[in-house]
Amino acid sequence: METRVGSRACACVALLLFALHASLGHEHIKLQEDEETAEELKLRAPEGDVRVQVSGRALVPGVRTQDWVAHARVLLDGDTHVGFIREDGGFSVSDVPSGSYVLEISSPTYRFQPVRVDITATGKMRARVVDYIRTSEVIRLPYPLQMRCLGLHSYFIQRETWIWSDFLMNPMVLMMVLPLLIIVLLPKVMNSSDPEMKREMEQSMNMLNSNQDLPDVSEIVTRFFSPPKSHGRAGGGARASVGVAQGVRGGASSVRGGAPRRRSKINTAVTSSE
Amino acid sequence: MAWLVVRLAISLSLLYTASAVFEDQVGKFDWREQFIGKVRFALFDTHSQASKKLLVATDKNVFASLNSRTGDLFWRHVDKTGPEGHIDALLMYGQDAVVVVGNGRLLRSWETTVGGLKWEAVLDTGSFQAAALIGVQDFVKYVAVLKKSAISLHDLSSGSQIWVENLPDSDTVQYQTIYSGGNGLVFVLGFVPSSHIVIVEYKIEDGEIMKKKSVEAAWMSSLENSCAVISSGNLLCVDQITQSLYTLPLQSAEHTEMRQIHLQTLDLEVASGFQPVLTSTQPNPAQPPLAEFFLQLSPDHHILLQLKDDLIAPLRDFNPSYLAAFATSGEKTVAAVMTPKNDTVSHISKTLFLKKVFLCIYLYCNGLFFLLKACSINLFSADTGRRHLDTTIIYHMDPNGGKPNRLYVHAFLKKDDSVGYRVMVQTEDLTLTFLQQPGRVVWMREEALADVVTMEMVDLPLTGTQAELEGEFGKKADGLLPMVLKRLSSQFILLQAWMAHLWKLFYDARKPRSSVKNEVTIDTLSRDEFNLQKMMVMVTASGKLFGIDSKSGTVLWKQYLEDIQPNSIFKLIVQRTTAHFPHPPQCTLLIKDKDTGLGSLYVFNPIFGKKSHISVPALPRPVLQTLLLPVIDQDYAKVLLLIDDQYKVTAFPSTKNVLQQLQDTASSVFFYLVDSSQGKLSGFRLRMDLSTELIWEVVIPTEVQKIVAVKGKRANEHVHSQGRVMGDRSVLYKYLNPNLLAVITESTDMHQERSFVGIFLIDGVTGRIVHEAVQRKARGPVHFVHSENWLVYVYWNSKFRRNEFSVLELFEGAELYNSTVFSSLDRPHPPQVLQQSYIFPAPISTLEATLTEKGITSRHLLVGMPSGNILSLPKMFLDPRRPELISEQSREENLIPYAPEMPIRTEWFINYNQTVSRVRGIYTAPSGLESTCLVVVYGLDIYQTRVFPSKQFDVLKDDYDYILISSVLFGLFFATMISKRLAEVKLLNRAWR
Repeated sequence: METRVGSRACACVALLLFALHASLGHEHIKLQEDEETAEELKLRAPEGDVRVQVSGRALVPGVRTQDWVAHARVLLDGDTHVGFIREDGGFSVSDVPSGSYVLEISSPTYRFQPVRVDITATGKMRARVVDYIRTSEVIRLPYPLQMRCLGLHSYFIQRETWIWSDFLMNPMVLMMVLPLLIIVLLPKVMNSSDPEMKREMEQSMNMLNSNQDLPDVSEIVTRFFSPPKSHGRAGGGARASVGVAQGVRGGASSVRGGAPRRRSKINTAVTSSE
Repeated sequence: MAWLVVRLAISLSLLYTASAVFEDQVGKFDWREQFIGKVRFALFDTHSQASKKLLVATDKNVFASLNSRTGDLFWRHVDKTGPEGHIDALLMYGQDAVVVVGNGRLLRSWETTVGGLKWEAVLDTGSFQAAALIGVQDFVKYVAVLKKSAISLHDLSSGSQIWVENLPDSDTVQYQTIYSGGNGLVFVLGFVPSSHIVIVEYKIEDGEIMKKKSVEAAWMSSLENSCAVISSGNLLCVDQITQSLYTLPLQSAEHTEMRQIHLQTLDLEVASGFQPVLTSTQPNPAQPPLAEFFLQLSPDHHILLQLKDDLIAPLRDFNPSYLAAFATSGEKTVAAVMTPKNDTVSHISKTLFLKKVFLCIYLYCNGLFFLLKACSINLFSADTGRRHLDTTIIYHMDPNGGKPNRLYVHAFLKKDDSVGYRVMVQTEDLTLTFLQQPGRVVWMREEALADVVTMEMVDLPLTGTQAELEGEFGKKADGLLPMVLKRLSSQFILLQAWMAHLWKLFYDARKPRSSVKNEVTIDTLSRDEFNLQKMMVMVTASGKLFGIDSKSGTVLWKQYLEDIQPNSIFKLIVQRTTAHFPHPPQCTLLIKDKDTGLGSLYVFNPIFGKKSHISVPALPRPVLQTLLLPVIDQDYAKVLLLIDDQYKVTAFPSTKNVLQQLQDTASSVFFYLVDSSQGKLSGFRLRMDLSTELIWEVVIPTEVQKIVAVKGKRANEHVHSQGRVMGDRSVLYKYLNPNLLAVITESTDMHQERSFVGIFLIDGVTGRIVHEAVQRKARGPVHFVHSENWLVYVYWNSKFRRNEFSVLELFEGAELYNSTVFSSLDRPHPPQVLQQSYIFPAPISTLEATLTEKGITSRHLLVGMPSGNILSLPKMFLDPRRPELISEQSREENLIPYAPEMPIRTEWFINYNQTVSRVRGIYTAPSGLESTCLVVVYGLDIYQTRVFPSKQFDVLKDDYDYILISSVLFGLFFATMISKRLAEVKLLNRAWR
């Protein structure tokens, strides 16, 4: 049940990951029961009767505390211990037994980084960064806790809206529109220039056009859009190249079933000239 | 850092496949209802006249402020569950509310306008007895908290403790109440049972004991309800055995004995076996209480009495009366009394005599009960007992509800200085009704829904026209012409309905928007074209059943089942769906007492909530297990088997037809029983005579581990694909055993180094253990989902202190043993089992999987979190085939490379900021659209939404740009027309040339 886009993106990431994997080497941490000496084993002393108060301060910059504290709660390890935030932003969670807890501020609007709080059997406390993979790593944070809002929760994804500028700036559209513009505009520019120059141009075009069997679309379109009166004037100049492009043009005209009569006239003219 | 990149990459890759909410979808198909629970304390804010605040504290440890005009929540604070968050007392003074929490452990002061915490104070341990506001010289400054052995005084504005004093002789004396009359003294009242009352007098400033005296009271059994302080420090007690009132002035030194007043002298008598209750009122904590008080003599008899010059005089006798309460506004104190409405009784009795018998019976069934239960509430002046004129509120009791048991009165002064009032009535079924004169229901809250135990979703019935169309296919062909005619006629009816619908749309469009309200009523209920709207049948712990429209959240019917034991277990079974027109749908509720195991059945129609009059089998023995068979009786009701503790089987319905069918299929009916106290799982087979035989038994020794949960697969689940296509184009077939049971055990040793969680996959028919896994250094609570060929479970890793997900997937291998039919009895090859584990970086409260009609849509796991969010986690992340090293084949299969940590994105929260407090369960149901799964989350709140795990692939998107597509079409059309015209002109010109 995947979209094509998803699978393609996934494949890209897979490549990226492959590259990363080589660099990771044996740092790879797996969820297996490997015997690891945890530094804070002493923290897990049998739970005594020590009950402490975890306190700190939460801050949402630029927002009055009254506006958000009524909907926020302080949660320790889910909702095993709950605290509320005071009107000055301070909070305290009472009666927490010794152990290690993840303290988070749950607010439906604002996002906070959770903090791990370790309480020893003697009631000493420290705060550190939550790392679920390297659980023994200690990056100390200040205690009493300073919880700073990281921004708003982004619950919604943007709709793909259809805007003209987006459409026009799309590379595919640009690739299609720009040549079209050139094709339409170029003959107009050419008309005013002298036939010598035009012949030169066409010669260089032929040089570029190495594959003779393919229909030369640009030429057909050029001819199609150029005003009919130019043929009368530039006829002699064009003749040299016509012979080369003859088969091509014939093929193209047969492909484009309802081609204008004008072109078939040129075709007959070419055959008669030969 | 590197892992961060990997994680980022993975989550980015899945952005496209995971479902999320768009901002414009807010409230479109989802709704949330917030509840508070059973109200224990309710206080109206009488601080200012215009205040709409109603502060409530409930048994769900919720402290909230309600808007008394609408019943909506201003704010709500949900504390910890259990006794540690229990709200012991609620006091209010001015803008502040003081709450005592956790058996007197915490004292919190809340600012009531925005709901912010002002201060919090931790008190010493000790069991809480009472709390009171203490005023000094007409100004309330302190709050006193009485514990079993100590009393403490706190400052009201800062929470700081002024003093704490130990109570004298606290090991023998039971101190229960606290009293202060605003004269600089605090009285603590205690008693020694059947001996004497102790009165200790403290000075407010420093807590010095001023006086201590004991008064003889040999009759005393409890202080709390039978005693009250009235009228400038007179202790008043009532005793049922001696049938007397006792008074004692608290302050006077010379009184050493309580003065006895026999109730007979007042012409009163306490009903036998009833503990009389005294209710006094102290409008201002800095002033002594009023001299008037209520004495409740029997459940429906109150009397208003007054103490004047040491004499007790009755002011007014209310007989009969259900409830009575005092209320104060400004200087005036009034009493509201709820009495049964007398005139309706006489009216009914008159009708009974006049009308014919059959009408009487009809009335008796439908109206009598209801009419008799209309009550009137009247206001009386407290100091005289005189009735205020034109203050009657008629309260009509819900015929499907319970009796009123609490009355809260909000009195206010009208412009002409008379007292007006509104009342809030709480009934046994936890309905809060807010009434104003002359009986208009301002709002109503169904607080029973704060404790939903189980629920089901039932399809709505078809409308008449839809049924007509459907009926065409069911019947046998009776010739070509009648068929054509019938089709034409039904199409014509459809056309008619459509025209009517269009007309209604047109008609409504002209009206102002506010007046157009799509009121959902039971009569207009019908299935929508994609079956997205269903009836939610919810069973609550209080024994009240609800039928809720899933689209709007409107309660369509409710039914209160009386005499339900508080610790009952409920099981709701849908026996017949709405698909069998004209047979009504049928639900059966099994109510089982937790202690005795004795059960009873309640059969009802889930659409209308009416009780069915089907004879229900009596269940004299405890029910151990229920089993819903696919066997249907002649009325299309599925057969329910109930197994009792002697392994006897009762069938419901048990008609002859059913019994016949059961005899035919008995050899293939197996069931299992779990006895977690003995650690025994046993399998049984049904015999022809509806007795059973034991086939297998698995014993899990209880000394080591105990069974915590056993779950099979959901019966209505469909698996679309038999296998998975691998990268090399071979197929890995799934092991789809419908009889598989997942058994979760937890070790009895809770030491974090030795604790473990065990997982057994047992075939329910043969008892064979298909797979066994042990998760070491892990403990519960284990949440798990068992579906298709996989089992996902979450446990707590006690070594690393984190939640971990583990997934088990079972495969048959590259070949299917018997591709047509699965039989547990004939499976020689054990399945291949793959397992992988992941870290889940958040706590979990519940787990469920999405479910769709045909099982084509990819599955998501719905994870309820304590923060109130519901995470929709793609099952793709929980795939044991996620490779560590990426190969060409894994890329071909779209497998995400293994990463230990599970990503959590806020975009995956299906309920955005509509958090659901204390998620208890998630219910998923398929809809008529394959892409859509209906989700109901219940806990303290109820949240209903739809999820699209693979996006909405079978309907046009919400934002489908009709304007663009039609403008392009029209543009092309006109361009064709114009160019055609131009071409013609050109041809013509050329022809002329």
